[in-house]
Amino acid sequence: MEEISDSFLCCICLELLYKPVVLCCGHMSCFWCVHRSMNGSGESKCPICRKSYIHFPSICEALHFLLVKMYPEAYKKREIQILEEEKKIGTFSPQIDGHMCHQISEEKLNGSSQSCESAECSISANAVSSCNVVIQEEDSPEIWLNKNSKQISKSDLLCVSCNQLLFRPTVLNCGHVYCQSCLSIPANEKTKCQECESLHPGDLPCVCWELDHFLEDQFPEEYSVKRCEAKSKGIDSPSESSKAYTLGNCKDDEQHDSLLLLKTHFAVGCDYCGMYPIIGDRYKCKGCIEEIGFDLCGDCYKSQSKLPGRFNQQHKPEHKFEHIKLRANPNYLLSLMTGIISSGGYAQFEIATNSLSSVPNPPADGAEDSELDLALPLVFDAIPEDDLSETEET
Amino acid sequence: MIDFSRVQKELQECIKDIEASGIKVTPKGDNLSRLVGTIPGPIGTPYEGGTFQLDITLPDAYPFQPPKVQFTTKVWHPNISSQSGAICLDILKDQWSPALTLKTALLSVQALLSAPEPNDPQDAVVAQQYHRDYQTFVNTARYWTEAFAKTSSLGVEEKVKKLVEMGFPEPIVRSTLEAVGGDENLALEKLCSS
Repeated sequence: MEEISDSFLCCICLELLYKPVVLCCGHMSCFWCVHRSMNGSGESKCPICRKSYIHFPSICEALHFLLVKMYPEAYKKREIQILEEEKKIGTFSPQIDGHMCHQISEEKLNGSSQSCESAECSISANAVSSCNVVIQEEDSPEIWLNKNSKQISKSDLLCVSCNQLLFRPTVLNCGHVYCQSCLSIPANEKTKCQECESLHPGDLPCVCWELDHFLEDQFPEEYSVKRCEAKSKGIDSPSESSKAYTLGNCKDDEQHDSLLLLKTHFAVGCDYCGMYPIIGDRYKCKGCIEEIGFDLCGDCYKSQSKLPGRFNQQHKPEHKFEHIKLRANPNYLLSLMTGIISSGGYAQFEIATNSLSSVPNPPADGAEDSELDLALPLVFDAIPEDDLSETEET
Repeated sequence: MIDFSRVQKELQECIKDIEASGIKVTPKGDNLSRLVGTIPGPIGTPYEGGTFQLDITLPDAYPFQPPKVQFTTKVWHPNISSQSGAICLDILKDQWSPALTLKTALLSVQALLSAPEPNDPQDAVVAQQYHRDYQTFVNTARYWTEAFAKTSSLGVEEKVKKLVEMGFPEPIVRSTLEAVGGDENLALEKLCSS
């Protein structure tokens, strides 16, 4: 069995990372380890740095293929082990399409071939084809194992944007990797991935330092060139920027939190953006038969994104959705209101009562309702659930 | 379901590092969900020289839920119950993270021995003494370490068994042993004279 670098051991299961996910703070863990460590009733915290987050990021495919290549045996063993567990629980992690990745890497390779030397290129080409073998000829790994199983090339670690070796790698919520300097913050706009067009929720993610150190180790020359470039441009100030992001995150006050709770769909996640739990509107697919279900948050329902489900659900575009209403416990509302009163602010209390009393009519349909009516079932508890749900085509 | 392969890895890691940390974790029986931890008392504290045993129970959701840890060796410390050995430590409660391990948890317990938090007490009596009469607190803690946490006093159960076999009732044996600081001969003397 291969000797696995500590950098690629999952901090939770203590084994080789399998289907790695990089959180917005830059720390990585296995798909299942992250999912299991998330909190279904509110903000989750990074197991390592405790930075809070609410979106379950997609698997970082670049990292996945890197690990497949570096540790073919160990990774295969992990795959078998996890598949066994998945069969037991009846829920599966996303399948990663090896073929598509192959095409992408080849495109990238062609794109960057002008800049790299010919020797480097031939190694890259070899490496890419062996990556493909891993996926397709799973039964006979020995053939390529000895040749170049650990031959990592620059083409495995390219930035989606500049198409060069990654420097200060930063992973978006969709799992695509960029150089930190290639990600810009559009004013009053959300960051959008150039590769898959998905929006990145929240602040820009922090650098994945574990991967950065690996890059420095593997490609010392290119890395130092990159570092010099960055220094001359004055963008090599990772600590400052990451600090700014963390500060931006601490804006929530108590009042905000308690009202959010009223709109929280406990232990239900959005299969597009990964928001878990869903806060606000929730749309449940009526066509997906998988036990875990297929749900979307309000924004993703509107955006008509084409990403597959988070747990390998066989979701089809023709499936119909149902708008799910929250039926919160009246006792909970009471405790919340008394909580608000005892915590002081008269103004805060006024906001809470206003929002409850200013909606005299029961909603006629679900889909177009404003956020306010999510609190409605508390007041009009007699409304049967069927009246509140509505079917729509997507 | 407990992730036993992780627990196994943790135990191996502990063994590797035992020279440096002095922290030991061993399974209680065949089942890896009950373990016994051992930490040396930190140097420069009233607990120095003592070896403290802890009872560790892993919940089903471990490592996504914290292990249940409590002292089986008696300790005089504001954040540890002098009666039950229960520990008041945030990382063993709401601040637990699945990236922590049994070893790091026990290291935190060891750190707690060095740095008591008397304003967030588990044992009110000890905390009060800590505030009002620090020197007495130190003396008592040191005395408890001598009496209960020194290697010679580790086999408390054996002493209990021995005295029970002599015909004394177990609760009285225990309280007597405790009263004399764990000394078997003194306990026997006291038991005979009473």
